[in-house]
Amino acid sequence: MSSIRGKVAIVGLGVTEQGKLPGSTPISLGAEAFKRAIADAGLRKDQIDGLLTMPGTTSPEGPLNYLRLGEALGIDPRYTGSMVMGGGTAGALIQNAVLAIEAGLADCVACVFGDTARTGGSRFSRASGWGDSWGLWGMFGAAANSAVAASRHMALYGTTSRQLAEVAVACRYHASLNPNAVMREPITIEDHQASRWIVEPFRLLDCCLISDGGVCIILTSAERARDLRQPPAIIGGIGQAYTTRNMEREDWWYVPHQKEALSRAFAMAGVGPSDVDVAQLYDNFTMSVLLWLEHAGFCGVGESGSFVEGGRIRLGGDLPVNTAGGNLSESYMEGWLHIVEGARQMRGECGPRQVEGAETCLVTGRGMTLNCSNAMILHRA
Amino acid sequence: MTKNTDKPAAPQRPLPTIDNSNRPFWDGARAGELRMQKCCGCGHIRYPISDLCPQCLSGEFEWQRLSGRGKVFSTIVFHQVYHAAFAGEVPYNVSLIQLDEGPRMFSNVVGVPPSEVKVGDAVEPVFDPVTEDVTLPRFRIARAG
Repeated sequence: MSSIRGKVAIVGLGVTEQGKLPGSTPISLGAEAFKRAIADAGLRKDQIDGLLTMPGTTSPEGPLNYLRLGEALGIDPRYTGSMVMGGGTAGALIQNAVLAIEAGLADCVACVFGDTARTGGSRFSRASGWGDSWGLWGMFGAAANSAVAASRHMALYGTTSRQLAEVAVACRYHASLNPNAVMREPITIEDHQASRWIVEPFRLLDCCLISDGGVCIILTSAERARDLRQPPAIIGGIGQAYTTRNMEREDWWYVPHQKEALSRAFAMAGVGPSDVDVAQLYDNFTMSVLLWLEHAGFCGVGESGSFVEGGRIRLGGDLPVNTAGGNLSESYMEGWLHIVEGARQMRGECGPRQVEGAETCLVTGRGMTLNCSNAMILHRA
Repeated sequence: MTKNTDKPAAPQRPLPTIDNSNRPFWDGARAGELRMQKCCGCGHIRYPISDLCPQCLSGEFEWQRLSGRGKVFSTIVFHQVYHAAFAGEVPYNVSLIQLDEGPRMFSNVVGVPPSEVKVGDAVEPVFDPVTEDVTLPRFRIARAG
């Protein structure tokens, strides 16, 4: 299982402007991110022989996005496809790229996402459940699933809304140091407490943004990475875990498979939570960060609320989390920017938000109705 | 351009598509009973409704009447309107109910202010006709004794 440890690296990063981008399309944003990423890596487009994509929420072609984007980019990859796992997609595609490169199916793989969720009016309001969905009882949208987790966590462990606020405040502080972040005005716990209810126990500031933007991440072998323009971020370990069940699993609300994904990534990399210098934890809602902290073993079950108090996950704290601002404040690119920020931290190019001396970064992703999770360990070269 | 003087139709709440696979559930609700599938292979009582038992993959099952009693497993309150048909209902409660017989289901706890429902509250079913054909199983705080 450790055979691919350190074999593949992230070598190119392309990020467009983020936020509200009228006139853009998922393809135009994905293509712009691709151009920036190949320039960053010092590669020509004809050297990209793998193309893996996630359709935007507003992409009319859906899972045929890889064809549409490939045509727009004018490339003929020898390995391609699209995947739809919501916030779990970015990490899963990166892992596919690692496997393809290690297996010799492709040399340089571009993973691309573009979306116009903001100007396109995506509301992430779908009711979960097949057939007769949970919407029969008014259970709609992504926030509600995580709110169910928060409500039970609060009841079992005494976790408070002010502790959730610590996550929002830390992410916003980090976004204030990120020129490409959408929400840069610092907030306080009181601001969080004064924001309106969305789905109790979540207030507005517990919820991620809805954004337009594009992201491209290019990977190649660690060996080849040495010849490219940027310091590579080496992939030390990867892991995935899923549950397709929700009502049938009593612990579904706690997202227990996340712990399995993390264990697999830690084991492959040969590291543990005490080795992690900085973490990019998927934050569709504040509660998700608390669950990752418990599952990764940074604290015990039920202890994440008190763990985040007092700025512990802010820059300068014991474990800086979501140093670019996360889904909550940087931009909602469904976790793609968490991988970008992880790689940037490993390059050491983050300026005022750089975690000094950081050598190991944990990046996590999670999507759909709490169903899909993945984790990745990045190292400084 | 055609001038449309009609008022827009009131948005309709989501309703189940009733067919042979789920008719006993909805017929039960109209009759004031909560019915779920019990596997003839392993005895597992399952929800959501499905053709195969997710425990043992047996396709043999019978519909069983449940007590409908249970406890609030988790509870949330919707303030945001995600579906226009619920615009007049916010804030409303949605709770994940742990039924005494094993399954869990999302529903609403009604009869008390939505934020007063607590995890662990004992609940019992109420059957709420929302259309002529559809009665929704919902829950209320169980009466003592």
